Amino acid sequence: MPLLTEELKTWIGREVTYAAREELGRASIRYFALAIDDENPLYQDEGYAREAGFSGVIAPPTFVVETCQYAHRPPNANGYIGHSWDLPVSGCRMIRGGNDYEFIRPVLASDRVSVTWTLEDIVERKSRLGGTQLFVTSVGRYYDNAKDLIAVNSETLVYQPLRGEP
Amino acid sequence: MIAATKTAAGLRPGDAMPKARKTFSSANLVMYGAATWDWHRLHHDDAFAHKMGLPAPVIDGQIYGALFAKQATGWLGPKAFVRRLSFRMRSMAFAGDTLHMAGQVSQILTEEDCPIVVLSQQLTKDDDIVAEATTEVRLPD
Repeated sequence: MPLLTEELKTWIGREVTYAAREELGRASIRYFALAIDDENPLYQDEGYAREAGFSGVIAPPTFVVETCQYAHRPPNANGYIGHSWDLPVSGCRMIRGGNDYEFIRPVLASDRVSVTWTLEDIVERKSRLGGTQLFVTSVGRYYDNAKDLIAVNSETLVYQPLRGEP
Repeated sequence: MIAATKTAAGLRPGDAMPKARKTFSSANLVMYGAATWDWHRLHHDDAFAHKMGLPAPVIDGQIYGALFAKQATGWLGPKAFVRRLSFRMRSMAFAGDTLHMAGQVSQILTEEDCPIVVLSQQLTKDDDIVAEATTEVRLPD
């Protein structure tokens, strides 16, 4: 039985928008920098960031596309609150295939972000391990308070059938 | 005084980036999950990871993007702007693993009078590639 069912195909093209309730904020930028061991003063020293030509501290490049701060909903059964399509796929584990990020400008603590996710494509491909797996590609477009595009995140997630491991 | 930013004139294809190494403790995975508002149990729950057929909680692949960007900006300087970063997962890594990062300049381009340095970056565990990235960074004129 194919993983890519007719029902699943109807999900391609779906779109959803999330709008953050507050600015990213300096505290969350510093927290992220701590979590990735990045002591770059651009992310915590206002004076340093200004001297480097910015209006204030900036976020590490990928912060805006990694945080789920835009979301406002209870965690799902797996503890996740960020965007997910909750596709009708069962008996699979989901892993990351890869991401293509495009950044338009540095992200600031004062940015209040909204993101529109589009389900671009779902394809079924043969797996090196035998059988097939699903590749689901979604594109997140991130906008600032003025609705200007600041980043694009094309993400591929892979659904691998579980093989009855313990 | 701010750190210097490298210029295209000072870079050549093949130049090596500084190497780095990081061991991902359970605490590191929890910190990263919390800092990104991502509390998915795949990244902190041993029992759930086992149920998914995996030996331990999985290092969230998104952090590799952050580490590739950190390596690029830390090396090139405060006025370097990452404009594109594409990474692909090649194998999985788990809580407790030590990953090694390396990278090289692969190309230097000019677009709209701005120099762009293209980096090829790798994260490895033992001899396995965990993730690979192509990172485009705009440098000041």
